[in-house]
Amino acid sequence: MTENQPLPLVVENLTFQYHTRSTPAIQNLDLVLEPGQVMLLAGSSGCGKTTLMRCINGLIPHSYHGEMSGEILIHGQSVKGMGLSQISTHIGTLLQDPERQILGTYVLNEVCFGLESQGMSREEMLPKAYKALERLHILHLKDKETFFTSGGEKQKVALAGVLAMEPDILLLDEPLASLDPASAYEALLAFRELADEGLSVMIVEHRVEDVLAINPEKVLYMDDGRIIYNGDAAGLMDAVDYSRIKLPAPVIARRAKNRPAPHFQPTVPPIDPHSQPLVSFQDVRFQYTADTPEVLHGINLDIRAGEVIAILGHNGSGKTTTVKHALGLLKPTAGKVLLEGVDTKKSTVAEAAKTIGYVFQSPSQMLFAATVREELAYGPKNLRFSPQQVEENVNWAIETVNLEEELPTPPLALSFGQQKRVSIASVLSMRSRVLMMDEPTAGQDYWNYQAFMSTILQTPGFDAIVFITHDLDLALIFANRVVVLYGGEIVADGHPQDIFQDEEKLIKWRLMPTSLLKLNQQLWPKTGQYLRAEALSQFI
Amino acid sequence: MKDTYTTGKKKSIWSFGTKEVVYAAIGAALYAVVTWAFNIWQIPGAGNVGIRPAVVIPMFFGIAFGPIVGFITGFVGNILADMLSGYGFWIWWDLGNGIMGLIPGLFSAMVYKYNETKSIIWGELSVILGAGLGMGLAAISEMWVSGADINTVIFANFLPAFLTNIVWGLILLPILMIAYAAIVQRSGR
Amino acid sequence: MLVAWNYRYRNSPMDHIDPRARFIFSFAILFAATTTWNPNILFAVFVIAITWYSLGRLTWKDTRFGWLMISIMLFTMIVINTIITGGGAGGVVPPGGQLVWPDGVSIFGRHLNIGLTVERLWFAVSQLMRILSISLVFIMIPYTMDSRAYGVTFSKLGLPDRLAYTMELSFRFIPTLARNFQVTLDAQRARGFELDAGKGNIIQKIRQVAPLLIPVTMNAIVSSEDIANAMDLRGFGQRKRTWLYELKFHWWDWAIIAFAVVMLAAVVLLAYHFDMRLFSVPNWWYGLFN
Repeated sequence: MTENQPLPLVVENLTFQYHTRSTPAIQNLDLVLEPGQVMLLAGSSGCGKTTLMRCINGLIPHSYHGEMSGEILIHGQSVKGMGLSQISTHIGTLLQDPERQILGTYVLNEVCFGLESQGMSREEMLPKAYKALERLHILHLKDKETFFTSGGEKQKVALAGVLAMEPDILLLDEPLASLDPASAYEALLAFRELADEGLSVMIVEHRVEDVLAINPEKVLYMDDGRIIYNGDAAGLMDAVDYSRIKLPAPVIARRAKNRPAPHFQPTVPPIDPHSQPLVSFQDVRFQYTADTPEVLHGINLDIRAGEVIAILGHNGSGKTTTVKHALGLLKPTAGKVLLEGVDTKKSTVAEAAKTIGYVFQSPSQMLFAATVREELAYGPKNLRFSPQQVEENVNWAIETVNLEEELPTPPLALSFGQQKRVSIASVLSMRSRVLMMDEPTAGQDYWNYQAFMSTILQTPGFDAIVFITHDLDLALIFANRVVVLYGGEIVADGHPQDIFQDEEKLIKWRLMPTSLLKLNQQLWPKTGQYLRAEALSQFI
Repeated sequence: MKDTYTTGKKKSIWSFGTKEVVYAAIGAALYAVVTWAFNIWQIPGAGNVGIRPAVVIPMFFGIAFGPIVGFITGFVGNILADMLSGYGFWIWWDLGNGIMGLIPGLFSAMVYKYNETKSIIWGELSVILGAGLGMGLAAISEMWVSGADINTVIFANFLPAFLTNIVWGLILLPILMIAYAAIVQRSGR
Repeated sequence: MLVAWNYRYRNSPMDHIDPRARFIFSFAILFAATTTWNPNILFAVFVIAITWYSLGRLTWKDTRFGWLMISIMLFTMIVINTIITGGGAGGVVPPGGQLVWPDGVSIFGRHLNIGLTVERLWFAVSQLMRILSISLVFIMIPYTMDSRAYGVTFSKLGLPDRLAYTMELSFRFIPTLARNFQVTLDAQRARGFELDAGKGNIIQKIRQVAPLLIPVTMNAIVSSEDIANAMDLRGFGQRKRTWLYELKFHWWDWAIIAFAVVMLAAVVLLAYHFDMRLFSVPNWWYGLFN
């Protein structure tokens, strides 16, 4: 590359304000992206990263409206006056949720979507599509239905669809959000490879620690619509608030040195190993239909009062299927599931709800009522609680999640974080004995999910708490028991300390050892227990 | 220097850009899925009214996103629902379902705030008109196609379909409109 | 819930016919069958439709749900209306005629006069031929047409790109929405929702589905914004679109279209120029009742 060739992307003094808002979403941003570079753009929810991406890829001003000032240059040319299709030949964007980005029913159709839009003939588009698939090593998927690809595959398919248009700048919007740790790592390696081939890659992500693994050349940190930090990765460690984004554990431990450690005490009762199990899986096997393969192969699991259980496992390992059995939503093909001694085959799901309150991953999958109050009353009413009891439960639940002032608001009008709390409250209001949560931290940034988990685990009223996650750190910090599922079987069950020791096994189960785990292992002789990074500071 | 980008005046109800393509496609898919889901349960209906919650979907998509989206939601949605259930193509009933979404779409220009009483009254009126015209057309086509007489057409084809559709439509449309008002409020659209 | 499409590649003759030719042919049958009540013409169209259907090599197992539904429809229409209650049969059958049981019939010792005429019975047969002809050609389409072919077919038949693409996009989101529906159903069941816990009046019963319908619908609408962005970012609708799926027109496709056009023209000519569109009863049919 010669000196006078214009840079792929230059942003100068960019400010944008949506018409529907009274303050600018981003202000006076400057950045430069060079060929072959990976740039990490970090920041918590609402910091303006999405707006910046929309300005660069042309959705602003073409689909979103407002007032813009400053300049964006792609290869030295201003984007003003460029149409979306012209911008799309330079800039490829991977949106956060591949499920919504994938437009083709079959992989090859998906990859060709952009080329079809450009009016290319079949002969022109096929080589480009194959090349894109090969670059990501997924050519073997080409005739598969996109719906049936795994989470990691979906993301690569979506990326191939972007790469087929041969952009030289890639914008990736929280590309790790829906992936399990092993798939996330593979995706990151693929991004690095593309940068090494000469593309400019901009990754917007709050899982900073994970992205650092591929050595981004540049790191930007945004807060409140402004760039707070713009430099290399090393400098970031001291420039930003470590409670806002997830930095490597040793950095947090070092920086938290002289601050009081956060207090955390879960409120479940002490474990009594001789009590009757609340939930008991006895050699549970399951297949959906007689001609499909078995998905659970003999699950044995007792859940007792006092336990905080993290169920870990890769995407498709059977975590959700297992939990659905506990609720009686699925009934075992062989073996049985007992809830407080009662076989789920002999009870209804509504009866099961008295034992287990299950919070689904996304609040938007369950919120429907006209007001938060009605939403919270729905469960207890179905369980035939008396009106007075319903009232009491609703009030208790809403106080617990701290949203009393929103009782008359429609839940669908709330922010994502508030909706999440309402969805929890709407399960709390049934006063079930066990709280089960599927991916409780999904869709929340680091700051929010730390606070969220601490609050939930310190909520009184549960005998046991179970959460499904693929976040190892979450299990490490919050659980007193870990169950690992792999390929429809329980491959490990016990104290986090016992299970997380063997790194090789963790990798085999597609759970990647994290910096927090490594630091904890190192400090084990001094601590004798697993602690969060802030608490480890006093031991280094 | 500032550049201002605006939507300008309210879009024509007949505009059909990328967003409308998506609403129409999603609406049709949703109509098919909900129809199919309630078909496979085979839940006994109340009295003579079948379980057809799906009919509200073309009506609602019409009110919310205009006549073209409403029409496609009903028309393509019905085709896809029949495909899922293995019933084949029934072009005149597909058209009838399309009209059931198209008519509410014509009223969409009158609806600004989805939770206002006035809007809901327009919506309900459009449900009756849409179901009447749509099912009427489909039923009358049976006279032409199969040579059934007017009594059969009215009592065996038109009335059951019309009554079922307006009962579900009238009750569910306001519920969806109020829920959508909250979504609009949240996103500031 | 997992949706399963009925299309399979069977390497049947139908798999080698261009979808455009197939749609043109199917509509030609629809119009031909609905142009006339002449028994000979209807029979000819019926035979052509059966032949066409056999090109798909569909099995009974494949299509039984479709035929079940058609049977129910035929039953109400033909048996109840035309034979038992005997309305005017759409003004097609002239009033009067020869009774099938001129002396009435005795059932369980009771004497009944049944007004069914030989003419109306033949009308039922005509209706059957008509509806079956149309059903035969249309019922097979979803079983024999690749979901990837719809967009390009309608586009090449002259529909604007945006409209042609809509159906293709619908296909894409059906399995996703079916899964979302299942998730919402599970989520609400976990809160004690039971579908057939039918208490209360009809309004309350109908409102029971709101906890299912609202999340699924609103979620779909919210995700539309991202989907539209994904399409815009890949240049959707900026210029005339091409399609990966290839349609190949062979000589036999032309022959099929030519046949369809000639058949329809012949039927229209016979019906209107040679006055063969009215209902009539063949003589051999009367013979059966004497």
